[in-house]
Parts: sequence; C-alpha cells; structure tokens
Amino acid sequence: MMSYDDVSKTLVGHIRRVFWILPLFVLAMSATGGNALAALIVEKFEIEGLISPASPKALSEALEKQLQVKVVDLNLKNSSSGWPLLSVEFDSDQLTRGVIEQTIALIEDPAGHTYRVHQGPAVISAPFTDEEKAAMAALGPAPPNVQALTNPIESTGASIARGKKHYDKYCTTCHGLQGDGNGPAAHGITTFPRQLWVWKNTNSSADGYLFWFITEGRSDMPPWGVILSENQRWDVINYIKTLTKPE
Amino acid sequence: MAARIKPPRMRIPRKIKKDDVFKVKVRFEHPSFTGLGQVEPETTPTFNRAVPVNFIRNMLVYYGEELVTRFNMTSAIADDPMFTFKLKAVREEPITVAFINNEGERWEVSADIKFTT
Repeated sequence: MMSYDDVSKTLVGHIRRVFWILPLFVLAMSATGGNALAALIVEKFEIEGLISPASPKALSEALEKQLQVKVVDLNLKNSSSGWPLLSVEFDSDQLTRGVIEQTIALIEDPAGHTYRVHQGPAVISAPFTDEEKAAMAALGPAPPNVQALTNPIESTGASIARGKKHYDKYCTTCHGLQGDGNGPAAHGITTFPRQLWVWKNTNSSADGYLFWFITEGRSDMPPWGVILSENQRWDVINYIKTLTKPE
Repeated sequence: MAARIKPPRMRIPRKIKKDDVFKVKVRFEHPSFTGLGQVEPETTPTFNRAVPVNFIRNMLVYYGEELVTRFNMTSAIADDPMFTFKLKAVREEPITVAFINNEGERWEVSADIKFTT
C-alpha cells in the first residue's frame, strides 16, 4: 500500500514533468503554426494586378481565409524583379503551388479587379519586327555627321560634381543612378536606354559623339541642348565617364 | 485588365481629286498601360509594376507599296488613340496603315483611293 505521502510525491513529480514539457510543447506549436508534424514551406509568388490601395489587404485576407495558409509577407517595394512579391507559408503535404496560383486567380478585390501570378520574365518590349527595322532604315534618323570636338572643361572634381547634379536630375529617370539603363521610366520606353558605363575612361575621341547625342537626342531621348547649356552638357559628359559597371 | 482590342478603322473623304491634299483619320481601340501603379500610397508612395506593360509602339503608313510615314510611340500614348494626318493624292492606290504594339503584334487597315472627276 502506498501512503498518502508517497501518492502526493508521485503526483507532484508528474505535475512537475508536465510543467516542464508543457512550455516546450506550446513553444513548438506556436513556432510551427499549430501543426508540429506538417512539412511547412514558404514559397514566393510575383503578383500582377495589385492596382488599388485596397488590393494587398484584400488578397492576403482572402487567401488566408480560403486556403488556411499564412501570408508571411507582401513585399510591395523592394523585390528584385519589380513585381510585388507575396510570401506564403503552407503545408506541402496538403497544398501545391499550382492550387495557390489558381486560388489567387479567382480572388477579386473590392473594386472587382482580379489578380494573377506573374509567369516567366517580365516581357517589356518584344524585339523590333522586320517591318519596323525596314521602316527605321527607310525613314529613321539620319546618320550622324559628328564633328570631332574636344571637351573645353577639364575633368576635375568640381566639374564631375556639377555633372552628377545634372545627371541625377535629368538622366536617372531613364538611364538609372548607376548608368545601367534601368531607371524607373525605362521599361515604358520603346527602345532600351543606353548603358552609360561603357563610356568609362574613354578618351577625347568620344567627346564629339556624346555631345552630339546629348544635344540632339534620338528616339525617346529628348534633345537636352534645349535645356542644358553647353558647359552643363560637358560637365555631364565628364560625370558619365566616371560611371562604373554595376555588379 | 481585359484587353479590349478592336481592329483599327480608317476614314478618308468620299471625293478626292488628283493632287488634292486630304485628311486621313485612323482610330485604333487598344489599351495603353505603363504597367506602373501606386499600390499603397500611404505606406509605400512609390510606383511599382502592377500590370503588364502594353501600348502601341509603331504606326506605319503605306501609300501603295511606298512607306510614306512612321509614327514612333511610347507608353505615354492614350488609350484608343485617334490619328489624323494629311496626304497628297498623287496616284490611285490603296492607303494601308499598320499598327505594331510593344509585344510585336500587328494590325492593319486599308482604304482605296479613287479619283473623282
């Protein structure tokens, strides 16, 4: 027969063990979203169609409600591809990526817009067709008759600083801060903006061509000769020659 | 974002005499998207890609076989644009206007020019 003391000691022991295990169990449950045994994975989806301010919230809420998944993050601003990036945590035993993509396509935001998961690379502008090339050859801009010019402004620190100021103000929209032709407005333009780091440390033989191009413009590039003075254009050229190829 | 593209339409005067300068009007119902949208203006006041880019890139005008003018456009073009330009009626040949969008798709509209006496 166990005495009262023995029974109480055993009970206390059990309770203590339970108290040890319980927090660990709760911790495990909370860390895995309530299902410690499931294989949870996080996948990323590029979303098309987030056009109204209510769209992101409506998409996240509808997805969580319909599929019992967890929306970890909706990166609207800094995704590398430019498309908004939705991170979804789901159980790979019960759901697949395809099911989530189909569900996203069926969700509507309050204004009635639909979403879509972006597939493949961003097609910005298809290459020119043969017909367009032939038209450009027939009616396009005349071949440049470029004079050999020499830069009257020495490439000093002050000149480069002035050039950077004008470049940041006028050129970055299309050519990008690093001169990689990837500015915010670049993808809406018919022809891809030139990558300006190719002119790094070129000698004076390129000066006449650069000056002519900046002054006259071509295709979608406006003639900056109307806006920038001659000295300002030379400052910009001095700055362009210091741009390095981005990593 | 249903793409509601309709074939282009062209209108020229009913009566054209030889050496008349006449107006050609072309209407093309095609959407125009830069692809940019302001998703959360309060928290992230930047424009990012929201829908695919889609706009008319080129308009080529042929008078018979000859290419007479070319219009280069950007995503700043309007939805469903209407183009008007003048031509001199020098010979009895069809005018053909071809549109090409940024995805390389092509549409065409054509009208015959016949001189009235």
